[in-house]
Amino acid sequence: MKKLSIIAVAGLCVIALVGFVFAQTATKVAGELKSFGVYTDKRSPDNHYIPSGWMGDNASADAQGTTGDIFLDDQSMDNPHSGTTCIKFVYTAKRTKGLGWSGVYWQNPANNWGSKKGGFDLTGMAKLTFWARGAKGGEVIQKFIVGGIKSTYPDSASVEMGPVELTDTWKQYTINLAGKDLSYISGGFGWVTTADLNPNGATFYIDDIKFEADPTMKPETKKQENIPFYIYTDKSSINNHFTPSGWMGDYDDLKQSDFASTEDPYLGDSCIKIIYSGKATNGARWAGIYWQNPANNWGTIDAGYDLSKATKLTFWARGSKGGERIEEFKIGGIMGEYSDSDTAGIGPVILNKEWTQYTIDLKGKDMSYIIGGFCWATNVDVNPEGATFYLDEIKYE
Amino acid sequence: MKSSTSKNKVSQVKVTGYSLTLLLACGLFFCGCLSIQAKPKVYIKKLKHQHYQLIVSGKPYIIKGVCYSPIPIGQNHEYDWWNDPNKPWLADGKLMQQMGVNTVRIYQPGENPEAVKRVIRDLYNNYGIRVILGHWLGFWEYPCPFYGDKRFQDKIKKEVLEMVNLYKDEPGLLFWILGNENNYSCMGTVNPWSSEEIDKEPDPQKQKIMRAKTYYSYVNELAKEIHQVDPQHPVALGNGELVGLDIANQVCPDIDLVACIIYRGKTFGNLFNSLKATFNRPVVLSEFGADSYNAYLMKEDQNMQAFFLESQCRQIYENLATSREGAGSCLGGIIFEWTDELWKHNPSDPQGWSVHDTEAGWSSGSYYFDIQAPKNMNMNEEWFGIVALSPELENGINKRIPKKAYYVIREFWKNPLTKVKGKKAKWTYSK
Repeated sequence: MKKLSIIAVAGLCVIALVGFVFAQTATKVAGELKSFGVYTDKRSPDNHYIPSGWMGDNASADAQGTTGDIFLDDQSMDNPHSGTTCIKFVYTAKRTKGLGWSGVYWQNPANNWGSKKGGFDLTGMAKLTFWARGAKGGEVIQKFIVGGIKSTYPDSASVEMGPVELTDTWKQYTINLAGKDLSYISGGFGWVTTADLNPNGATFYIDDIKFEADPTMKPETKKQENIPFYIYTDKSSINNHFTPSGWMGDYDDLKQSDFASTEDPYLGDSCIKIIYSGKATNGARWAGIYWQNPANNWGTIDAGYDLSKATKLTFWARGSKGGERIEEFKIGGIMGEYSDSDTAGIGPVILNKEWTQYTIDLKGKDMSYIIGGFCWATNVDVNPEGATFYLDEIKYE
Repeated sequence: MKSSTSKNKVSQVKVTGYSLTLLLACGLFFCGCLSIQAKPKVYIKKLKHQHYQLIVSGKPYIIKGVCYSPIPIGQNHEYDWWNDPNKPWLADGKLMQQMGVNTVRIYQPGENPEAVKRVIRDLYNNYGIRVILGHWLGFWEYPCPFYGDKRFQDKIKKEVLEMVNLYKDEPGLLFWILGNENNYSCMGTVNPWSSEEIDKEPDPQKQKIMRAKTYYSYVNELAKEIHQVDPQHPVALGNGELVGLDIANQVCPDIDLVACIIYRGKTFGNLFNSLKATFNRPVVLSEFGADSYNAYLMKEDQNMQAFFLESQCRQIYENLATSREGAGSCLGGIIFEWTDELWKHNPSDPQGWSVHDTEAGWSSGSYYFDIQAPKNMNMNEEWFGIVALSPELENGINKRIPKKAYYVIREFWKNPLTKVKGKKAKWTYSK
């Protein structure tokens, strides 16, 4: 099964040598240290990582955002949380490279995407804390990250938190690292956000980023998510979960799809428009998309949601002409080192021209661990001319 | 006298009491014997909490099985190994016995009944190994299996009942399995078939349901007739994964157990609980396992195979009737498979039947150590055996070389602890 990575940290690398972590050493910092700084003040000797990893619409840009969507000022004196400076980001959401997302990684050494040794052994640290505020409040950061850099010298852990809606006053945030293997972390901290979440851009500030040894921290246990639990409600909704990152089969046949279509959404201001050309561009003669957590997780990352409270998944769909045939809609079913706890599906489904609601029954299913939140697949044999169809209001109930 | 008379009376009473007790005991014993005799040779006992146990000759029986198809190097599936003068099943049976295997699964008996009986008897009499006999139900017949066609149904039924009549009295017979992954034909994914009535239905979802009802109803009819001919052995429904079992549940009252083919890597996931919700019968894992070729590193990797198999066997034990925490509905499992089969990658190319092909035939992320192979193709069909075949001949057959999984599972079966001091895995994968 071919898979195409498209969103979030795809810029990091495409080769994940899962399970075969090369022996590597990093500067050990634990022991007597109670904390280990990522950023304290512009000229602080306690800064150990560099905000050099520019991603998405900002890849290859410089700190002034010359060719990207992000402008960075790492010595902003605009009301820092402590000391004399903080970091100011201006995200323009202009989609300079047409991707619609941007992010920054703090790396060690600078620009290290896992191709060289570096990083730190942070064993003994139990959390990462930082302070953040928005210029206006309401700015949405899709996720904050610790670790997760792959390639030849991969980080030993990958932890995410988000989405986070910032307030206009300083607020401290904590990423729980208890129980994680922190023996090699070259990507000390990072954030990612999207133009859909911030259609008018976002200006925000971050300060006092540090790892801390906190013996009271306990490893995070997965909590049961409340229902309804949305996969997609509107393009810029903070309630969206899972990422449509698992492009399968003839993924190039789906290139024209639009996840923020305004063409007659069922509810709200947007819906998902899938354009499947049916040209079998990659030779598979079928195509499909998985919504994953985190993006591109094919069972290699221990993540996902506990959706045990859900008894069904519902969604609305319509075909542009009516008669488009989708072989399968399903949830779960991703198998890997960390597999989905169950799977369920419906299909084949012949779509109507009018919005129609469909239901996947989840009664009796083990929904305690779901990384593949939603999926559809179809093929050229049943859609010789391709198919254009719309999806909206995908949610667990 | 008085006292004597009294004593005699007491004595008479005692004698009468003894007689009655004796009579009662004899009666109970007789009834007990009748009761024992009334039990089939092989049956499934329903316990509390929807737990199930396979009982064979009056004793609980955990299926520790292997799929058996001893095709030698250079031959393909058409090879009639049943009539092999070198009797490969004797060498295999000995090795199996040493490992702890008590059951072999054979997908369909050969054409010569005497040869088939000889194999069953040799395995049972020499090594105590019992045989599960199956029937493909015409799944591989060209152009496709028309389960809605009466003539096709009658033809297959005749074959199945002939098989039952021929082998039902073999002491080494354990039970019957009807079909293998035939349910996928109802979904249209493998060997699709239809009927006039089904073709009239415009909704493809309803078509699938109609096909499934047709197929499972037919299998139930077969099971019912088998029970009339052979009340001594259970009848299993062979099924690929759990696909379609919600439909089977509506039309299969005469099926005793389900025989599921499951390839989910190190875990069976929610299999046992899902079954309880959809098809609440005892289950045997009729195929499970892992290949021993690492398509990512492009080399043989016996550790990888052993890792997956040990984990799978442990899960089977965790879900036996005797397990406190598991589903209690599992009767055991059958490893796929005993020996490597070198013809499988390209069955139509005789040149390839002597080559241990390293090109993967399918993909499964569940076997995650080599999923990063080119195009994610990581499943090597010719490398599923837990015993390798050497071109070198020994007593006229390819020399058997047990792989690491053979030894790991042998040790697991000797001491099948499902949890060791809070740690589940006894065996960890290392390169």
